[in-house]
Amino acid sequence: MKIVPHASTDTLTLALDGELDASSSVSLDTELTKPDVLDYRKVMIDCQRLNYISSAGLGVFISHLQRFQDAGVKLVFFNMQDKVHNVFEILGLDSLMTIVPTQQEATAV
Amino acid sequence: MIALLRKLIPLALPVAVLSWLGLLLCMLLRASPPAAARWGFPPDWAILTTQALFAAGVFLHERARPDRLRGTEFVPLLRQLLVWPGALAAVCVVLHLTEHLLAAYVPDRGPVLLNTFYVINLGLFVYFLARTCYTWRSLVFFRSQPRIRQEWRWFEVLLGVALMFRLVSGDTISWFILPVLLLLAGLGVYLSAHQQWIAYLNRRQKWEIVFLQLAILGVMAVFGAYFYSLQDDPQLAGPLAQHAFLVLTSFFAGFYAVMGFLVTLFNLPTAGVFEQKREEILSMQRLSQLIQKGQSEKEVYSLLFDSAVQTVEADAAWLDLDTDGGAPGFSYQVDASTREGICRLLADYNIGHIEYLNNDLPNSAGFRALELPYGSLIVMPLRSTKHHYGTLYLLKETRQGFDRENLSLLQIFTNQTVLSIENLRLLQESLQSERVKEELKIASLVQESLIPKTLPADSWFEIRWHSLPAREVGGDFYDFLQLSASRIAIIIGDVSGKGTTAAFHVAQMKGIFHSLMLLDKPEKGQPLQPSKFMAMANQALSHCLERSSFITASFYIVDYKERGFAFARAGHCHTLYYNAITEETFYFQTEGLGLGILRDGAAYEKRIKNMYYDYNPGDVMVMYTDGIVEARNAQDEEYGEDRLRKLLERSHYLEAEDIKQSIIRDVEEFSRGLPPFDDQTLLIIKFKNAQPLA
Repeated sequence: MKIVPHASTDTLTLALDGELDASSSVSLDTELTKPDVLDYRKVMIDCQRLNYISSAGLGVFISHLQRFQDAGVKLVFFNMQDKVHNVFEILGLDSLMTIVPTQQEATAV
Repeated sequence: MIALLRKLIPLALPVAVLSWLGLLLCMLLRASPPAAARWGFPPDWAILTTQALFAAGVFLHERARPDRLRGTEFVPLLRQLLVWPGALAAVCVVLHLTEHLLAAYVPDRGPVLLNTFYVINLGLFVYFLARTCYTWRSLVFFRSQPRIRQEWRWFEVLLGVALMFRLVSGDTISWFILPVLLLLAGLGVYLSAHQQWIAYLNRRQKWEIVFLQLAILGVMAVFGAYFYSLQDDPQLAGPLAQHAFLVLTSFFAGFYAVMGFLVTLFNLPTAGVFEQKREEILSMQRLSQLIQKGQSEKEVYSLLFDSAVQTVEADAAWLDLDTDGGAPGFSYQVDASTREGICRLLADYNIGHIEYLNNDLPNSAGFRALELPYGSLIVMPLRSTKHHYGTLYLLKETRQGFDRENLSLLQIFTNQTVLSIENLRLLQESLQSERVKEELKIASLVQESLIPKTLPADSWFEIRWHSLPAREVGGDFYDFLQLSASRIAIIIGDVSGKGTTAAFHVAQMKGIFHSLMLLDKPEKGQPLQPSKFMAMANQALSHCLERSSFITASFYIVDYKERGFAFARAGHCHTLYYNAITEETFYFQTEGLGLGILRDGAAYEKRIKNMYYDYNPGDVMVMYTDGIVEARNAQDEEYGEDRLRKLLERSHYLEAEDIKQSIIRDVEEFSRGLPPFDDQTLLIIKFKNAQPLA
């Protein structure tokens, strides 16, 4: 699992590459826990190369969801593969989180 | 030949005694002319033959005695030799003096006395020689090769031949005998070179041996002097004893003693070194013995420290340990400021944790400044490939105090220590993991007991289940509760994560299920709605689930009277259904958020939907956890919902048990050879056409 951060003035983009399982979700959690993450207006997660997400991976996003909302930071997922989207959907997260097809739409949110 | 000798052995002693008595008789006859005139004058050959028989008898008897050497008890062996046969020399001296004394009083009896004592002394001397020769044999044979035994046997044979010479050749030594005698002497010298036993003596024993050898040589000298003085005595009645034989055996006995004496003497200065090496070997043995005994780490370190200080004779030393608990380590005659100074200096040079030998501290730049009272230093780290356990420092006051051998010995010590420490730790770890395994087994048993064993059975439906945790304890759960004769509640779910933490939440979820079912009161017109159940469960869990955990569940209440069921899905896998009327196989596509994700009760309730469905006899409901549809094959593909649906299309007509078996088989075939990646749980309900209850 590789996490490539890319920061612009008010947006932090994290590109996820590989499988987000129990062990790699720890590094994602570390990335999202950094205090300066809350200084951005928006955090975008690029899921183009995300092949698999485990319940531990979902747990990381779930645990940060409330924190982001309280700080007024938007969390947006884009470029999600069907397989991964299906996991979000079954759990009901698609109605709770912002998931958009493309980067343009994510930027527009 | 050997067999013949063996048979002669019991006869050796009687023959020796008899021939000695015979010799005494002959000599006495020859010494007193009146008696000789009466009984006859014994010829020379009779005397020589009795002498030869006596010598052969004594030597054979000594030869057959069991080896007197016990283990490596060399000093007692030589002491015995000196005390008993050596005492004979004193007897010899006393006899000689007595004879001189008596001869003054009874001059006419002089020859008789002289000859009597001569015969007695000859007997003593021959016994002393035999005893000495065979004591030396024990020493020559000590840890020797079979070849030496062979050579010794030849030596004995040649001695036997020499014994006969006197019988045939008379007084003169003919020219053809001389080479044989020289050969025998050479063999004696050669055998005398076998002095390995001296290496096994310690310093004190070597001193003792030096004095013992000197004493034995002294005893021989006394005998030698006696016989030499007697050689030309006109009063001696018979011909002298077997020259060649006695000279050769005396020569061998004497030469071996001289050699032994010299070797021991020259070994004395190096005895200290030998002893030190011995001490090193012993310390090493002690150290390796402790490994097997598996004692505490502290003991192992302490043993290393003591052994190292002792063997290299350090004047000061200390051992720093890198253990987590900050164990104090060990020190010996060293003060804190010296320790600190040296450690800081080594750290400055960045050589704090490598092997280091400095034999000239006063002339090394950094150490000179410390003004230490020491001249040499060894630093020896204790480490394995992965771990650094500590560092050993040894100091000596003299310069050039340590050598390469010290260093390699210390390396062996530290390697042994590291090995034994690692063994101890491995042992502890395996004990620990054994205990954890044991506890997991208990947890697994507890969880097993939480799984309902008695399935609700009725004529209007059939239910079958299957559960396979990926580890000892799992995060999947399911439960049933018969609410009334016609109503039954079913729950299936999955806690995020695996293993022990997940298992705790499973137990919690079962408690919540059974508590909330108490709120179901259909007789008062208040049946529990599945969505309400989920909302309350979410509420309860929000107080006891960590932020990153969540639970997915599907909850069903089947009502036989109504011929239908109500259910809600909280983020759990879609329920697979076969409708026997339309002959369709499909997934219920309902919305519902997993439990524990939204902790705001009101917000959560909006995201959970109730669903009602009327069933027909022959309908099949398949409930499962993601371990089934996410099972993977070697190509890393997932089993998937489609495959499961198509399987039910083919197998819906079977009994519940057979449908269950066909699914398990198909999943196993799909992920052939791969262990289950996640917990797998499967519930099958098949509705039956049954008469309503009265």
